[in-house]
Amino acid sequence: MNQRPNEIKMESHGDIILMDIRGDVTASSEPSLNSAYTSTKESGPKKIILKFEDSAYINSGGIAVLIQVLAQTRRNNQKIGITGLSDHFKKVFNMVGITKFATIYPSLQDALSAMSAIS
Amino acid sequence: MLDIDFLFSYSPSSDYYLSDLRLRGLKAEKTVLDDQTVELNLPNKLGYERIAIGGLAAFAKSVGFSSPRIEDLKTSVAEACTNAMQHGNKGKPEARVLVTAKFEDNALWISVFDEGNGLKAEPKDPDIERIIENLDPPVGFGVFLMRRLMDEVEFNKRSNHRHEVRMRMKLSG
Repeated sequence: MNQRPNEIKMESHGDIILMDIRGDVTASSEPSLNSAYTSTKESGPKKIILKFEDSAYINSGGIAVLIQVLAQTRRNNQKIGITGLSDHFKKVFNMVGITKFATIYPSLQDALSAMSAIS
Repeated sequence: MLDIDFLFSYSPSSDYYLSDLRLRGLKAEKTVLDDQTVELNLPNKLGYERIAIGGLAAFAKSVGFSSPRIEDLKTSVAEACTNAMQHGNKGKPEARVLVTAKFEDNALWISVFDEGNGLKAEPKDPDIERIIENLDPPVGFGVFLMRRLMDEVEFNKRSNHRHEVRMRMKLSG
């Protein structure tokens, strides 16, 4: 029952970095998420989109890892968009307060379009 | 194959029968099982909570819960099981986690047992703003979510080295 490591595909869309996160998000995701975020530091993007799989299992350990990434983005004055979440995890992210530090978008297109317009 | 002692007790008849609650290292006790009760006995290994999630989601669907409520249930059961594995059983590989679910009085009652002694104090709700500012550790989300997603959550110390998290989800909720 071991969790497969996350695959995180990085893409540039203008001044936005997209982190396309495949797989479940748990405490085991910490190395891959941190490594992916660290790899963005060289280009110093001001906007990052975190895209999840809508079938992903996300637990409190994964939420804690995400919040630690958000803490880093906060210190680096980066805008964060989140997309790909199921309705359930949109609700959960709202409950725990992640939406105070990141905006949830209904689709990747919506995220790209809205965040492109942010100066 | 999986090293899993997967006890799924289900009776298609209305006759009651008895089954041992097989928590390793604990004195066996008897419980009444009927056709509205299921039990799952899991290894103390992260990842096996998914067995409980899948089994209880199927059970909840069979008794009429909606998809959004089943999602709430899945998150709550996952959190209770991972807490049992990590904190209750302290990661001990020989320990077990027992999950029971019973549909009664138009509600699903779920218990997750571990071999620990329970919480010294219930954790306070996490404050994400303090966590983001590095003033608090990023902990407490599991219990917080269980409390928000279920209709009722109790933490009961049953005896030495036996702790239960009991949760209720109403069908009409």
